[in-house]
Amino acid sequence: MTPPPPPPPAASVAAMIRPAPSLPDSKVNRDLLRVMEGTSLGYWLLVLVAGGFMLLAGGIWIYQVYKGLGIAGYVHPVFWGAYIVTFVFWVGIAHAGTLISAILYLFRAKWRNAINRSAEAMTVFAVLTAAQFLGIHVGRIWKSYFILPYPNQRGLWVNFKSPLLWDTFAISTYATISIVFLYVGLIPDLAIARDRASGWRRVLYAILSLGWQGTSREWKSHNRTVLHLSGLATPLVLSVHSVVSWDFAMSIVPGWHATIFGPYFVAGAIFSGFAMVLTMMIPVRRIFGLEEYITNYHFENMSRFILLTSIIVGYAYVAEYFIAYYSAVEHEQSAFWLRAFGPYWISTWVMILCNAGFPQLLWFKKLRTNVPFLFVLSVLINIGMWFERYVIIITGLSREYNTSAWGVYTPSWPELGIVAGSFGFFCFLFLLFLKLFPVVAIAEVKEIAIHEKEHKGEEWNHAHTYGELH
Amino acid sequence: MPKLVGVFDQPLRVANAVERLQGRGYTDLEVYSPVPSHELDRAVDKKPSRVRIFTLIGGLTGVVTGYAMTIWMANDWQIMLGGKPFASIPPYTIIAFELTILFGGLLTALGLFAVAKLPKFRLDPVYSARFSAEDFGLVVECRERDVAEIEALLRDHGATEIDLVDA
Repeated sequence: MTPPPPPPPAASVAAMIRPAPSLPDSKVNRDLLRVMEGTSLGYWLLVLVAGGFMLLAGGIWIYQVYKGLGIAGYVHPVFWGAYIVTFVFWVGIAHAGTLISAILYLFRAKWRNAINRSAEAMTVFAVLTAAQFLGIHVGRIWKSYFILPYPNQRGLWVNFKSPLLWDTFAISTYATISIVFLYVGLIPDLAIARDRASGWRRVLYAILSLGWQGTSREWKSHNRTVLHLSGLATPLVLSVHSVVSWDFAMSIVPGWHATIFGPYFVAGAIFSGFAMVLTMMIPVRRIFGLEEYITNYHFENMSRFILLTSIIVGYAYVAEYFIAYYSAVEHEQSAFWLRAFGPYWISTWVMILCNAGFPQLLWFKKLRTNVPFLFVLSVLINIGMWFERYVIIITGLSREYNTSAWGVYTPSWPELGIVAGSFGFFCFLFLLFLKLFPVVAIAEVKEIAIHEKEHKGEEWNHAHTYGELH
Repeated sequence: MPKLVGVFDQPLRVANAVERLQGRGYTDLEVYSPVPSHELDRAVDKKPSRVRIFTLIGGLTGVVTGYAMTIWMANDWQIMLGGKPFASIPPYTIIAFELTILFGGLLTALGLFAVAKLPKFRLDPVYSARFSAEDFGLVVECRERDVAEIEALLRDHGATEIDLVDA
């Protein structure tokens, strides 16, 4: 316990630590709230570009509703195309946020504090982006309620034995829980913003912060809530991409029908999610001068995760080939031969190089701490992971059992436009978030700062800084 | 009754002060903290938060709903497949699992609002923006004649500033 210092006259100490007692504030608040202030021309330009792509995709989608799914490049037997590829891609991106905020929370990895908020926000936006592709993919959007447990005209219910329905439940649960997680974490920071904002922002934050004052009753419930949400979200995040993988693995399509798909997809999702966090946060850190809070140490830790999951993904690539060879099933073997040397060989090699090849450079500490290199690598990984889903889905479908039914699918321009628009949508929401909500969890970063202040000059007490499971 | 507001800069000092005050029988305390602190949580209230009951109820509701919904729907429109039972439990477990998480998570959030008594439509008069900066506040409501003792105690525990508010 801290020995109390000799009692000084209160007023003089207050004057010492706070030159302007009328406006008490902390450096952490000022630095992190500043991100939300002011908008430069560059910001509006980015909003315009992202919003433009979003509107373009919206226009194409209306065109598709009018013309029908014929405008997509579907060729028999490939009826799952770029939409499903992009759906799986965005669901994968959504995994880093929950991993950082739930799993690393349970493991008491304090370094997550600086990046958890932005990763959680990305999770929410990525799930929202992904969910739209279900509606886009079904074509007749007005029939998409068929995926909900609501009887159709003949009183027939949905088929709960279908992986597609499991997916509906997994994705909607994931979207809901990640929104709850993001919001619960935001409440104390919104109160900080409320106490310092003026005008419409003050009203907005006053409403959203629900009158939070940081009383011990509030914090105690908050800590408990975050702990329980983490406990719930940890199995959830592992289940979501497993369920997505079962969309494929439960079928009998060669190249899809593999029990390895669950862990393979989850590792790939974490891999791509961390890459996306790097892609977004490296520019954000630079533009808003957050080097003090999001340090190279954070980026290095994330690149360790990327390296680990890259090895798992690379192992899965090899294991798939081995399973095909060892199974002695002709169709399986031919599917994997054609994957590497068939019509889609370019996608396959892009996938292998970007996901299993280049990330191996992260074995070198020099490169793990080289921020421009990490940025380039993270973009390459994003490309590679999109192609991974493309390879799995398209090569599997285009070369099924019956050679007379083979076909070659190429995405059509409307499909590619909507895919580009999904990136616009994601960036648009993230840009709005940057200016409306604290992008770094202020209270949690401050927790570390206060602990450091408390322990300065004292014997280092591990239990105090890292807390206990309570 | 008057209120004493002690301002601290370290959570451990507040926790010590709280424990001392409680030991002396002053239980009408309120603590404002800019950061989560387990020491403070424990000092103010030893019992674990009641949020956990909400999670439990939510999770149980979810698992029951998941199985009940799927099994009932399978039997509401029966599809005969090779004489097998209409309901098939293993795939329904996935639905039950997802709903466990969904209901559990939603009720946990509801538990936060219920236990922390949020939303609050009016901030406490003694609350100030400094408590969302880096200061910790310890508010003691006491009788007039105890003011001096509490003030000394707060100062002993490292309060950097003490205000007397008459309420």
